[in-house]
Amino acid sequence: MPRCKLQSMVRHVVVWWAVALLAPGVAWSQEPATREEADRQRREEQAKEVKPFEPTGLKKAMDFVENRAIFLLDREGFHPKLGSLTTGSGFAYGLGFRDRDLFSNKGALEIWAAGSIKRYWATEARLTFPRLANNHLHLEAWGSHRDYPQENFFGLGPDSNRDDRSDYAIKTNHFGGRAGVRPFARYLLVGGGMEYLQPTLGAGQNDSFPDVPEVFPPSEVPGVNSRSDFVRSDAFLEVDYREPLYARKGGWYRVDFSHYDDRTTDQFTFNRLDADVRQFFGFLAGRRVIATRLFVSTSDTEAGQTMPFFFMPTLGGNDTLRGFREYRFRAPHAILAQVEYRWEIWSAFDGALFYDAGKVANERGDLNFKDLEKDYGIGFRFNTDNGVVFRVDAAFGSSDGKHLYIVVGGVF
Amino acid sequence: MGSTCTSWLAAFSRALFAGGRRLGPLARRGTLVGIAASLAVATAISSRSASPRFYPDDPLWTDNDRLEDVKAVPIDDTNGYDFVVNTFSEPGERRDVRALNVNTVDEVPDSSWFTNRIGRNSMSVADIVKGPDRVERVSLTGWKVSGGKTTGVQPGFRMTDPQGQIYQIEVDPPSNPELASGAEIIGTAFYHAMGYNVVDVYLAEVDRDALVIAEGATIRDPLNGRRRSMKKFDLDNVFNRAARLPNGHYRVLASRFATGTPLGNFRYYGRRPDDPNDLVAHEHRRELRGARVFGAWLNHDDSRGINSLDMLETTNRRTWIKHYMFDFGSILGSGTIFSQRHRSGNEYIFEQKPGWLTMATLGLYVRPWATIDYPDVPRSVGRLEYERFDAVKWKPEYPNPAFENMRPDDAFWAARIVSKFSDEAIRGIVAKAAYSDRAATDFVTKAIIERRNKVVAAWINQVCPVDSATLSADGTLSFTNAAVDAKAATAPERYELAWFRFDNATDQRTPVGGAMTVSSGSARAPEGLLAGDFVGVSVTARHPQQPGWATPSTFFFRRASGNWTLVGVERGK
Repeated sequence: MPRCKLQSMVRHVVVWWAVALLAPGVAWSQEPATREEADRQRREEQAKEVKPFEPTGLKKAMDFVENRAIFLLDREGFHPKLGSLTTGSGFAYGLGFRDRDLFSNKGALEIWAAGSIKRYWATEARLTFPRLANNHLHLEAWGSHRDYPQENFFGLGPDSNRDDRSDYAIKTNHFGGRAGVRPFARYLLVGGGMEYLQPTLGAGQNDSFPDVPEVFPPSEVPGVNSRSDFVRSDAFLEVDYREPLYARKGGWYRVDFSHYDDRTTDQFTFNRLDADVRQFFGFLAGRRVIATRLFVSTSDTEAGQTMPFFFMPTLGGNDTLRGFREYRFRAPHAILAQVEYRWEIWSAFDGALFYDAGKVANERGDLNFKDLEKDYGIGFRFNTDNGVVFRVDAAFGSSDGKHLYIVVGGVF
Repeated sequence: MGSTCTSWLAAFSRALFAGGRRLGPLARRGTLVGIAASLAVATAISSRSASPRFYPDDPLWTDNDRLEDVKAVPIDDTNGYDFVVNTFSEPGERRDVRALNVNTVDEVPDSSWFTNRIGRNSMSVADIVKGPDRVERVSLTGWKVSGGKTTGVQPGFRMTDPQGQIYQIEVDPPSNPELASGAEIIGTAFYHAMGYNVVDVYLAEVDRDALVIAEGATIRDPLNGRRRSMKKFDLDNVFNRAARLPNGHYRVLASRFATGTPLGNFRYYGRRPDDPNDLVAHEHRRELRGARVFGAWLNHDDSRGINSLDMLETTNRRTWIKHYMFDFGSILGSGTIFSQRHRSGNEYIFEQKPGWLTMATLGLYVRPWATIDYPDVPRSVGRLEYERFDAVKWKPEYPNPAFENMRPDDAFWAARIVSKFSDEAIRGIVAKAAYSDRAATDFVTKAIIERRNKVVAAWINQVCPVDSATLSADGTLSFTNAAVDAKAATAPERYELAWFRFDNATDQRTPVGGAMTVSSGSARAPEGLLAGDFVGVSVTARHPQQPGWATPSTFFFRRASGNWTLVGVERGK
């Protein structure tokens, strides 16, 4: 910078300073005489700096998430369908359409189609009337198509071999309806329904494993080479007094009796009874919960009839025996006991230690607590009062090795 | 104006130095020496010309924050944004500084935020109970349903009275009849008497079958957020989630819409950039800092930005923003649609240390609040207790910048207000909630009284609670002890006084006389003190159970017409 220019600047600064200080008349005239005047001057200065409110990027993002994105999942009309289609399907995504104010808000229609990362597909239309007769009557009807291309099969019975893993594909059409009545208490629901089922088996699509008939003779896998339509009629009783739905206390019990009528070959008619009892014991303000579950499934057939393998209860996977692969055990009868110790880490985030034990049985007489398959593990869950949104469970201690599950949804 | 001044100075500078160049070196040196001498003198003058500590109109009791015209847009923060910002960052300024909006006697002047009521003036029990209500009661006869409710978790809708005034109608959850409406009635009356702006709320009874939906009534569809015509089933959706009275009607809360244009919420930090009247960062406002004490007392764990309301009002053709506290449906034992959670008031929603501890120990570490044995009370009370309540450790749902900045002097200010609520006033406010079960009324009253005692004892004693100081013309100092008056402490062993003469221009204190000890609230000023225009005295007290009393409170008096007027108060550092 040229010297003369620098000198000029210094001079100006000095003179500014001197004048500001030596001109008391100027300075005193701006000095407020009262507090009120001082405040008024501050406001006048502030008024010069007023600018419109500018939301930050975070605020814009949060506004979008809370005002729009959350609506996307639960919105009326078209919406994304996210989650899982069945145990072992992998994460699924698709598109749905819903209308929940049909018939003056009495009915709801939901139609969706989704595919999973393991090429499972499903589509469903469901019409529901949940609050008829002053909340005493629940009606629903549905039609769906499910295409599960790589379902595990390890053989029937408790002694099935892990190395015998094979797979099969099953496509099923469902058409049905159900009615439920809450006769006197909100927590009691009794009802029944009918469903028409059209299952079709095919070769498994997982090239890493052989198809079922390549490993097991058809005589050991009832229904594997047949094609039947079924009418399923069922009656159920459900008691639900959990508080809240992701329970800190209370219980959920359900007994379901189903009769499957083979309408095509008259070979596979059977009855199946499922009983599921879940009890929750909360302590320390409900921030610790012991959650227990006992599930029993049994079936019977008339003379000359058999139960198809794909309708048999199964154990193994993220919601039953977590130390075993999906559908690791399968037989006409099954028993499962689960216990979880859940502890709240933060609001909406729980830890869980779990223990699963269960077995399948070829004979009802073997339904007992002897020779159970077992596992244990630890998990973490993001939850709301209405249920688990997302969980990670790591299972150990089984004869099947360690298993890690990352699942949308809860266990029980 | 500014540019004119700048031009004048620039011209003067050029002229001065142009003249200098025409002088010889000696003369120039002489000029510079002269300037330097002048600067030295000017510096001395300048120190005398700095703002005085006390202006002639101090203390101001009205902050005229409606002077500048406001053109503002709504700031509508969402639940998630408010939570994230306050939990995972530190918005605003965290600084141990005296509240910036107090007047010179350490009080909050009336403003668009706050109006001194019970803290400065005596209020009758009837006035306290009445709160902001314009009428004694409202009857919904002739009113029409005019729209859906747009915010909050409590089910409800809007109604318009025959005069066109809009009210928000809210119902109580079936699991806890009278819960949220009772809390709202109680909270509104308390916060109004404290001094905050609140909307008036009324209890009323609704016959569901008699409701008429007005033509043109709309609702934002709860399922997709789109606005549409309101239907009968929208009311069904509300009343399906409502507690029903034995006569088939519903008890509802009717909240009168505030006057003006809604501008969203205020924040407990920063200033509104579009409001020239908003001079003080909110985290440094006394009434927002002190709201922590009130929140603890009434378990207002929802004390957060999104439960506030800014309204643009017009007075004398000038627009200004009025700041409201609202939504008290989640105070005391109410969680609005369920009983308050056990965590409420005891821990933030997300707090690192206890969370990591709980995770690492697989739950063997137990948070203290999880062991609180809440009393068995009517469902209308929710979850409330007072025995394990710790006023100092109380917390809202997530960090609040103003609460974080609360200092002992802020707490003293608030605790003194709390202490003004008599048992009778509390009883009257709770009775206004009209609980159908007498046991509920009794328990809530008892809980508020017990919590009041704890709050006052915890927060009024953190500074020397000497108050209401006066200095008579003859030099007799009189004062009270707010803690003793509130029965939050016994009298001290002694008070220690340090007198000084005060120079208002330089802010200098000159001690006069030695330390003085008195045993009561009266003392004589030392000889020779009263000669000046300003005098002061620092007071501490010795009490074995109250170490906070050793933190001085200092009082400044100004001579006016032969009498001494209290012009300044400092509490603490």
